[in-house]
Parts: sequence; structure tokens; C-alpha cells
Amino acid sequence: MSFTVSSEIVNKVAILSLGGSLDSSSASVFQAEIQKVAGESPTEMVLQVSELTFMASAGLRMIVFAKQKLGPSVQIYLVKPQDQIIDTLQMTGFIHSVHIVDKYPV
Amino acid sequence: METQTQTRTYAASLDVLEPIRELLTQTGQEVGLNKKQTYGLCLAVDEIATNVIRHGYDEAGITDGKFDLIIEKNGNQLAVTIVDDGRPFNPLEHILPTEEDLSMPLEERAIGGLGVMMARQSVDEFNYEFSENHNRNIFIVKFSNEIEE
Repeated sequence: MSFTVSSEIVNKVAILSLGGSLDSSSASVFQAEIQKVAGESPTEMVLQVSELTFMASAGLRMIVFAKQKLGPSVQIYLVKPQDQIIDTLQMTGFIHSVHIVDKYPV
Repeated sequence: METQTQTRTYAASLDVLEPIRELLTQTGQEVGLNKKQTYGLCLAVDEIATNVIRHGYDEAGITDGKFDLIIEKNGNQLAVTIVDDGRPFNPLEHILPTEEDLSMPLEERAIGGLGVMMARQSVDEFNYEFSENHNRNIFIVKFSNEIEE
């Protein structure tokens, strides 16, 4: 399934909705969206990922990019990641650096 | 035991990652892999295929590269092999991130090596061979045994 991303800023919170497959060919689309919301200096970033079916290391790189772009104090939430994506976050230690939640606001 | 083999050839372009995942997902379902195994196989092949396309061909200045994907079902295992003639690269000799690297705050992390680590950990066996000027990255998933969580 091809990758989709859309974003909005609500009360200084950047909310990005991701769907489909995030691999090295689609990561640049995600990166462009991160850059777009970074311009609004959000205080938190929420990734709605329940429809994200696949995420390669290129997707992890974009999470690092977001953290670097937005600053270490900006918390990143992943809302409802699928089990296999949670496995990847665990395997790579990313699980300790993002918040996995069932809904946002928490 | 009868081995069933199919071979497909792909252009060395990131556009082929999605069709490869679709093929592997379909194959996984046909042989009875569970969802976690199928996803792990797709992830592993995706990471190594990305490296082959990016580093083996693009960065080596090879513009019309192609690689083969060989899928073999033999008994209770599925073996997928990427055969390419790009720049030699052995993922087994690649330095993997340490526990310390993996526990660093994201904004301080060096991100290299994650893809290779994910590839190696997402299948039951991962092997690499170099012969006759071709890289062979081999992924094996066994489908009689329950994968440990």
C-alpha cells in the first residue's frame, strides 16, 4: 500500500496522520511534512499511525530527523502503532524515546 | 524433497520495494507463514534491497543495475535470495549498533547500521556469500516452528 501523510497544527501540537508503507522510497514525503510542521514550532508531535502497515529503518531515521528538527524537549507520541511496528521500535530501542499511546490527548 | 523455485528480476530502483513486499506477502500467505514472520521477511528483504540499490549501485555510479530475487520453498523453510552484481558488501561484517547506541537519546543517535541490524534480527537465518562477482544475501524463514516472541 502506498504511503500517505497529512498534517495539521492544533493548539501548537503537530498532528501527522500516516498510512500505508513507509520505506526508503517514501521517507522523503514524510520528511517534507515534518519540515512543514516544524516551521510552526510545535510543542508536541503526534503521529497517528494506526493505518501505517509497514515501517523500515528509513521511517526511524525520519523520527530522529523530527527530534533533531523540533528540539529534544518536543515529545513525540505514536498513537496506536500496529504490533509489528512496536516490535521494530523495541528492537531498535526507539520505544524508550517516544510515547506509545492509544489515543491523544492521552 | 521437492524444491519450488521462482526468480524475478528487478531494476535497481527504490520503486521496486513495494512490489517486492507484495510478492513476499503473497508468498508468505501461500506457504502458511504467520503475520509476524511474513512482516519480518518483508522488512529484512526491504532493508537489504535498499542497501543494494543505494550503496551497491547508485553510489557506485551504476545506473542500469538489476538484481534477482529468488524464492525457494523447500520442506518447511522459505529461502529468499537477493543476487546482485553491485559493489560487494557483506552485512555480516557490518558493525551493528551497541546496546549503548540503542539507548542514546534520539537527537544524539548515530543512525547507521540500524537497517542491517533489523534485517538480521527479523528472519530465522541470514547469510551472505560472494561468488562469481555477485553478492548473495540469503534470508531463511522456517515455518514449522513457532517464532519466539
